[in-house]
Amino acid sequence: MSTRTTSPESTSTPAVKQNKTRAIAIGEARPQWWLYVTLGLGLIVVVTPFLWMVLSSLKPEAEIRQSPPTWWPQTLTLENFTELFTRLDFPQFFTNSAVVAVFVTLGNLVFCSMLGYAFAKIDFWGRDWLFRIVLATMMIPGVVMLVPLFVLVSKMGLVNTYAGLILPFLAGPFGVFLMRQFIGALPDELIDAGRIDGAGEFRIFARIILPLCKPALATLGILTFLGSWNNFLWPLVVASSEDKYTLPVALALYSVGQNENQYGLMLAGAVVVVVPVLIVFLILQKHIIQGIATSGIK
Amino acid sequence: MSKILRVSVAALAVTSMLALTGCGRSDAAPEGDTSAAAVAEGAATGTITVWAMGTEGEKLSDFAEAFSEENPDATVKETAIPWDAAHDKIATAIAADQTPDVSMVGTTWMGEFASTGALDPTPDTIAADSFFPGAWGTTVVNDVAYGMPWYVETRVMYVNTAVAEKAGVSPSPTTWEELTATSAAMQATGGAASGITLQAGQQGAWQTLMPFVWQAGGEILDADGNLTLDTPEFVEALAYYQSFFTDGVAPKDVPVGTLESDFVAGNIASFVSGPWHVGILNEAGYEDFTLSPLPKGKQLASFIGGSNLAVFKNAENRDGAWKFIEWLSQPDTQAAWYEATSDLPSVPAAWESGALATDPQLAVFGTQLETAVAPPSVPNWEQIATVIDTELEKVTKSGLDPQEAATSIQQQAEAIGTGL
Amino acid sequence: MSTTILPKSPAPAQQPARGATPAIRRSTPLRRRRSLAAWGFAAPFVLLFLVFTAWPVISSLLMSVTDIKSRDLRDPFNVNFVGIDNFSAVLSDPLFWQAARNTGYFVVVGVPLVMFVSLMIAMALNTGITRLSGFFRVGYFMPVVTSIVAVAVVWRFLLKEDNGIINLALGWFGIDGPNWLGDPNWSMPAMIMMAVWRSMGTLIVIFLAGLQGVPASLHEAAALDGANAAQRLRLITVPIMRPTLLFGAVLTGIGYLQFFEEPFVMTNGGPLNSTLSVSFYIYRQFGFGNYGIASAMSYLLFFAIVLLTLLQFRLLSERDPRPRKKARKASTTTAPEGSTR
Repeated sequence: MSTRTTSPESTSTPAVKQNKTRAIAIGEARPQWWLYVTLGLGLIVVVTPFLWMVLSSLKPEAEIRQSPPTWWPQTLTLENFTELFTRLDFPQFFTNSAVVAVFVTLGNLVFCSMLGYAFAKIDFWGRDWLFRIVLATMMIPGVVMLVPLFVLVSKMGLVNTYAGLILPFLAGPFGVFLMRQFIGALPDELIDAGRIDGAGEFRIFARIILPLCKPALATLGILTFLGSWNNFLWPLVVASSEDKYTLPVALALYSVGQNENQYGLMLAGAVVVVVPVLIVFLILQKHIIQGIATSGIK
Repeated sequence: MSKILRVSVAALAVTSMLALTGCGRSDAAPEGDTSAAAVAEGAATGTITVWAMGTEGEKLSDFAEAFSEENPDATVKETAIPWDAAHDKIATAIAADQTPDVSMVGTTWMGEFASTGALDPTPDTIAADSFFPGAWGTTVVNDVAYGMPWYVETRVMYVNTAVAEKAGVSPSPTTWEELTATSAAMQATGGAASGITLQAGQQGAWQTLMPFVWQAGGEILDADGNLTLDTPEFVEALAYYQSFFTDGVAPKDVPVGTLESDFVAGNIASFVSGPWHVGILNEAGYEDFTLSPLPKGKQLASFIGGSNLAVFKNAENRDGAWKFIEWLSQPDTQAAWYEATSDLPSVPAAWESGALATDPQLAVFGTQLETAVAPPSVPNWEQIATVIDTELEKVTKSGLDPQEAATSIQQQAEAIGTGL
Repeated sequence: MSTTILPKSPAPAQQPARGATPAIRRSTPLRRRRSLAAWGFAAPFVLLFLVFTAWPVISSLLMSVTDIKSRDLRDPFNVNFVGIDNFSAVLSDPLFWQAARNTGYFVVVGVPLVMFVSLMIAMALNTGITRLSGFFRVGYFMPVVTSIVAVAVVWRFLLKEDNGIINLALGWFGIDGPNWLGDPNWSMPAMIMMAVWRSMGTLIVIFLAGLQGVPASLHEAAALDGANAAQRLRLITVPIMRPTLLFGAVLTGIGYLQFFEEPFVMTNGGPLNSTLSVSFYIYRQFGFGNYGIASAMSYLLFFAIVLLTLLQFRLLSERDPRPRKKARKASTTTAPEGSTR
């Protein structure tokens, strides 16, 4: 499109210049402090509700209901958390959520990257229509499948089991689409080289492709874990006794309509629920950034 | 693409033919036997599985233990389920035949679930005349009772006493004319920004409107089961409701969570609500309010809600289930249940002891319950109610003519049908 | 610098599905073996997919052509085949059209807005700042993990007419802010603000991953040639990011056309149905037990999503920076609608 972009100087830019142009590259010719201020202001906007959630979980119920709401707790209390932990069988619900989320995430990472690789790099019989069907199911409103899916799962005898909670989400179209888009960008030469060396497709996938997919796998891992961790309707329907409830289902017990909500417990629950998600995000977000830039060279 | 499409359409057509040939609903009424079978004599035995929502689900375990003490061979296994999706959970459980023995059921869902044929008709161990008539009415679908009214709630007037005193009016208006005058006075001279708050529309607004319709002598269904939502009485109630908004006495928009603090501060002089607001106001440290039954039109009336307990046809322990329900309906248990949950008993006999007999605020609810009315338990009621909510919002906010609104409600409701 | 090598293998998702080299393609036994291997890769997914997705989808499609209601749940074959009656009933329902208009408004304004905002933030986070970048990344992801309960409470406060922070801020510029949640004309903009706020974290993460493939050297060169920031965005970042942008756009389009949670917790579809979305209306119909009607509505919504996705593939697959021939080939394999037959 633009002939300028191929200008040969680009490869011989001195390091000093590179630093300067990096600042330009983001699309702002102004000094960096300007960006820090803008991003900082934006940060206030995006984290305020989160901070309010954390601070309010430390307030007594009456103060949470106060209008206008208070910002800093007038009375600092841990009663919401102590009540939460005494009233809920917390270890059980946490274990259930963790088991489901870990299996669902691993399943999606493995199965979706496998199919994503096949879609992106192997020209096989039936590829195009299979991809279209997979993509199309992403677009079907989930609620329409709830009843038929539950009837199916109950016919299979999986009601109130971990299998019933996990299997329907073990491999989703979202992950396939994401992995296909990312793997498609990797140079074919890598794969052709592997094929010429006589490596099998699985070996190429496991040894060459997967190590290059770190940013995509990290992204998929974060989003799948988050989705599974927060899933509400399916675990509620499948779990017929409380020992199979996941955290969001258990916490929803305190939401009993506009007037009778126990906000203190709900907010304390929301804070507790978010911690594992944040840990997963903190671990994986670094890989999103590192990934390709360093690994694409080989 | 087109090839796939053709193949899948063909496949679908074949499947649907197989599935649908020769089928079709012969009769809209619930199938099978609607006469209640007898319940065996003696103590309950075996495991009884129960679903209950919210606070009730949590508090039920203590009562389950008490029941097991009286019936040593029976254990109650209760599962608390969130209100948010309880309807979905029960509906999917019915579809997949995964129902428990007993479940708590919102009163307005009774018609829908009973018409699936999944509920067991109430046996004669549970007597209709021991309950408030409005409460018992919520269990009756097409002349057959399903389940037991567990607890009730009803709507009364909340008035800020200080504002009423300042305006020099009684905080207990007894007629429509008095309510109009009182709320106007509390706004004009009592220092309130709004004389009264009535839900202006949106989900559940019909619960505030219908008491006025019933007070005017209107009904939802006539004796033959036809919808009567455009009668002169219905229009009269709509016009009366609208007058508070056109006079500027009632606000058109009350942001969520502001009602209570504005009421305490005297900005809102009065509102119509259920028993839960007593607790909320007391928790905010406010006790200076007056409760009174809703005013009289042609007659006294209010809305009755709450929850029922129902037994499923496929219950594995049907006898045990009904015995547990019968035990929960006994006046002593009902009174103890009130102590534990603040849920108002559905059995008048339970109101004869303890706080229920002596507390003046509770007495107002007790009085109101005697004349409170439930909407008919027809399968499509929730859908019809949404039509009322929508049209009511146009009446209060955009000044839609009450007669036009009533005509439109009736027309849409007839298109929906009662579902019976 | 690693980045200088990247132009050869541009961005994630840049060259989708090129397949094997021509020499190998011609050799049939090899190709057959490769097909076998590919289906081996696909097998676990396809198996799960057939059981847990295909079957429920077919069942729900069947529901959409019958008069099934919740009372038939115990005996689902006890229903009547009604053909396209449900679809015509839905299409003649004025409230459905109002919901469709509301949803359209939400998508047309919301999707481009959130794409733009997220891309700007992702670019700023990627190259603009070096210190605290991890801190900022976590911060901007916060709305995604904040409980909807807290979101609702805080946003209700922010959106208040009299002393809400948003109207207070507007007041500094002499603007008299509206009654956001109470005025039918302003309720939808309020929903859009919330949705953008809530969904940009996910897009930022995806765009950040995609931006790893945009070589800084291209920007340097263009900057030396005198291209300004806007030109560089249009001529370098967007073309190279196109596959990632496409992914983000498709994902956002799917999510926004099914928009539900914001009105569910904030307005319940009001005032005067101004925030009633199609998904919300479907949810209500399921609640009423009208399974046939609700399924028909769901598939109408599905149809709208497919149309939007096709449009996005068309818009974002064209104008490819690569040589024509290659670009055309890529677009046929990228776009599920691209007819290769």
